[in-house]
Amino acid sequence: MVGESKLNLFGVINALLLICVGIVTVYPILYIFSISISDTASVVQGKITLFPKGINFDAYLEVLKDKRIPRAYLNTIFYTGLGTFINLLLTAIAAYPLSRPDFIWRKYWMFGIVLTMFLNPGIIPNYLIVSGLGLTDSVWALVIPNAIWTMELIILKSFYEGMSEQVREAALIDGASEFRILFNIVIPLSKPALASIALFYFMGHWNSYFLPMIYLNDSTLYPLQVVLRDMLIFSEGNRASLVDAAALAPQAKKNATIILSMIPVLMIYPFAQKYFASGVMIGAEKG
Amino acid sequence: MSRISTSLTGTWQHMKRDRQLLVLFLPCLIFYIIFRYGPLFGLTIAFKDYNVFEGIFGSKWVGLKHFVKFFSGNDFLMLFKNTLTLGFFTLIFGFPIPILLAISLNELRVKWLKKSIQTLTYLPAFLSIVIICSMVIDFLSPNTGLINKLMAAVGLEKIYFMIIPEWFRTIYVASDIWANAGYDAIIYLAAVAGISPTLYEAAKVDGCSRWKSLWNITLPGLMPTILIMFILRTGKMLQIGYEKVLLLYNPTTYEVADVFSTYVYRKGLIESNYSYAAAVGMFEAFIAMIMLLSANFISKKAGGKGLW
Repeated sequence: MVGESKLNLFGVINALLLICVGIVTVYPILYIFSISISDTASVVQGKITLFPKGINFDAYLEVLKDKRIPRAYLNTIFYTGLGTFINLLLTAIAAYPLSRPDFIWRKYWMFGIVLTMFLNPGIIPNYLIVSGLGLTDSVWALVIPNAIWTMELIILKSFYEGMSEQVREAALIDGASEFRILFNIVIPLSKPALASIALFYFMGHWNSYFLPMIYLNDSTLYPLQVVLRDMLIFSEGNRASLVDAAALAPQAKKNATIILSMIPVLMIYPFAQKYFASGVMIGAEKG
Repeated sequence: MSRISTSLTGTWQHMKRDRQLLVLFLPCLIFYIIFRYGPLFGLTIAFKDYNVFEGIFGSKWVGLKHFVKFFSGNDFLMLFKNTLTLGFFTLIFGFPIPILLAISLNELRVKWLKKSIQTLTYLPAFLSIVIICSMVIDFLSPNTGLINKLMAAVGLEKIYFMIIPEWFRTIYVASDIWANAGYDAIIYLAAVAGISPTLYEAAKVDGCSRWKSLWNITLPGLMPTILIMFILRTGKMLQIGYEKVLLLYNPTTYEVADVFSTYVYRKGLIESNYSYAAAVGMFEAFIAMIMLLSANFISKKAGGKGLW
């Protein structure tokens, strides 16, 4: 233990470098936050480098007054909630039969499922199927075509497989149906695995912009990310905005919107580490 | 005859026994048939002149017309070059950094600092691509952006980063590293944690410096993971983040930024050339599949352990 506490050059340089990396990573986010709560004059004069000046929350009030954003926020909450629920339910009930070693044609089902990871027809055929089924301009276009992610299905199936056989067999002898076993025993026992895939699904829905962008035409249905994209990136839609998009919309309001959209994700992120790590690990093992 | 009928009864018995499981599996089966295999059949429109009114099946067959048009045009070479270059740069710059980050974090003996830095560095992985791109555009904006303000402060000329093609790749790759390095490091950190501590103790007894044990124990211990991840990343090189390209590029940077998937999106969904775009998408999917299969083949040859 003596060697551990000894200061050496290598350790000090390493620590300093890592601190720099940490600062570089968070700095942009802190900067965005500082601008969002500073007064307009300081922002326009470019006085903000890290700490906010003339703290006020006007920008946030302004954002909440803009009809588009609260509506988009509610849309996103609805899509994310419904989407994650459907994802979890379908993945949980699909993984169960696949985890039973003697499930009929299991080999073929698994082959068919894994094969889809390598066959990616691209966006056009997907679009035609979804619009052909008449799902466009509804929440179903965002929820149904991605109801199961193959990777998360495999993760959950592996988790079920690792569970004890005896409980299930005992329940079966007691005359419980497979449904009961799944909903009363298997699912309650797989909370850690379900939490891990729920996080992935949640993040996927909350941050998704491409699918809503192509499947939703009615702007009242837009989720937050699509509104953000229109506001922040294609704001004025003309060439000038590409040259200086930042200059056109009021900086503080834009940044307040960004911060508001981050809040739910930032709230779950401190708890996410262990679940994400285990999910990433299984994902990497399975390739 | 009798053998077939017994096996049929056997199957029937098996199905009957598993009927509850089959009911549970049914939604999944329907989902995969419609939304994963359906689009594969929808790809036939690449060989047709797709017409909205006649549908996928009713449209006329035109053979390889769309492929010929694509390969003989100028766009093909540009897209191929851009997709490969962006993928290649993301790989060579983006791949080593999570490894370095994980190793340095592992060398950091101050527990709370290690934990906080790790937590900070994977924060951006939680931000949406829209947010990340809007931050990039904001920071690089010519008049109000922080980078240009800093450059002005030291007397440098203003740069219109977003509309200069030469800057696109740097911006794309750098923001990719910023967003993903901490998250990608998780897997290497887990691998380092799996190296037996007795090895380090033995090295210390033998008088190895920290640097030496890093070189002789940590790095070799990480090698299998590094190899697998490298092969995996190479196999997926073509699948670059087109959602990000869509947000960052604009007509002035198309020449370096346009990749297969963004082109498919523009030609197909914006200009409604469904069949042509489907043909381009099919070509891309084909190349991607070949790359993934060869990556797996190489990994099996090299390490004996394939990705599947």
